[in-house]
Amino acid sequence: MTTYPGAGPVVHDPMTLPADDNVDKYTFCVELKGSQWFLQKGKMIAYYGSIEFNGIGNGRLDRLVRTSFHSPLHASDWVVADGSGKMLLADRAFDVNSYDLDDGNLTIRSGNLLAFQPSLALKQSIIPGFLTLIGTGKFVAASNGPVVFMEPPIRVDPQALVGWADCPSPCHHYDHGYLTGVWGGLRAMTGLGGASGEEHQFEFVGAGTVLLQSSETLMAEQATGAVPHEPGVPGGGGVPGHQGQPGTPRLPGQLGDLQRRFGL
Amino acid sequence: MFRLQGSKVLAVDMTGDAVKAKNGSMVAYDGQMAFKKLTGGGEGIRGMVTRRLTGEQMTVMEVKGHGTCWFADRASEINLVNLQGDKLYVESSNLLATDAGLRTGTSFTGLRGASQGNGLFTTTVEGHGQAAIMSDGPAVVLRVSAQYPLTVDPGAYVAHQGNLRQSFQSGVTFRTFLGEGGGEAFQIRFEGDGLVYVQPSERNTIAGDL
Repeated sequence: MTTYPGAGPVVHDPMTLPADDNVDKYTFCVELKGSQWFLQKGKMIAYYGSIEFNGIGNGRLDRLVRTSFHSPLHASDWVVADGSGKMLLADRAFDVNSYDLDDGNLTIRSGNLLAFQPSLALKQSIIPGFLTLIGTGKFVAASNGPVVFMEPPIRVDPQALVGWADCPSPCHHYDHGYLTGVWGGLRAMTGLGGASGEEHQFEFVGAGTVLLQSSETLMAEQATGAVPHEPGVPGGGGVPGHQGQPGTPRLPGQLGDLQRRFGL
Repeated sequence: MFRLQGSKVLAVDMTGDAVKAKNGSMVAYDGQMAFKKLTGGGEGIRGMVTRRLTGEQMTVMEVKGHGTCWFADRASEINLVNLQGDKLYVESSNLLATDAGLRTGTSFTGLRGASQGNGLFTTTVEGHGQAAIMSDGPAVVLRVSAQYPLTVDPGAYVAHQGNLRQSFQSGVTFRTFLGEGGGEAFQIRFEGDGLVYVQPSERNTIAGDL
């Protein structure tokens, strides 16, 4: 750490910036040495060196995408950073942390994932709004407040859930006493007579780890694209008139939604 | 004398001297203080006209007295900057307070300002003394030197000081129009010798989604 004459705070330059580690609670520094990282669009705040950002659809990246990006419907939200130098990542002044997966798997809310190494494979979870990372490597995730790790069996508030690792089984849990009967129904609907706001929880059982953020502010959901419209796919169809995004034009052969791709 | 109390409150100890601060940013004081609105940011008639013409509006008050005065604005993180004869470039909306001895003015930023959605002009602070700037999340201070040029996202840029040249980089290609852009279509490149302040959060810019 060096100081500029007269400057109060810590001044960073490429020599003092950490490699693949946090600069402070809200900023993460990635070192690229001719290597590549996947990152969500617009999360890079600054970089030293020469780094190129390419959309997933770029032909040159075809092989990389084929091996580690199994979610064509997210393609318009992700880019590949390629080159050498140091790059700073941050997201709306939320806490940022990196996690190492060692031949493991982790499912995370799609809005919380900022970046990952191509040695990991990104897949769309069968639970809508979540993504699954499989393999070995490092990824960077944001959370509102520090992340807490818990062991199942546990019931958690839906808004505080960030993700889970190593396959505990997630399911919904309703507080039965508060939701049944005439009085229960009235309470749930009107809030009169003491609705605690905690009648609905997520329940995890099995072996693994559950990641929670220490606040109930949700990160803006990153659109995860639609699931194939097939019977048996959760949210994928079978319920008429309840399909993904009605009325948005999509050209044949296109990946995401047109509006999102143009930033409208 | 500027000091931070926590990271979101600026405390200024005064012994009869004065500071310029954003209008309405005082949260508490003890001792004797007088608050005076400075028409035109204390830059005189010429400054007033320039600010009106450039749209780089800044409403500033002068605080003078004996004691301690505390300033804060919307729980933004505050960063202290020491100036020793060099020049600080900052958006007027990110400037919280300066020593009364510092000169403020406006300067042309060109396309960088336009890409940030802040207009084509920015505020400069010059002289010897301290200034306090605000950011969304604590700012990271990055040094730029001859061998290490720096590239910054316009949405995360807060301020810079020193002897820097900035150039505007556009990565807009035909791919951007196909919706396959790199997500970082507009960038500012800093070369020379100085410091750049970036915040860990991005303002919404027109280039945000390209």
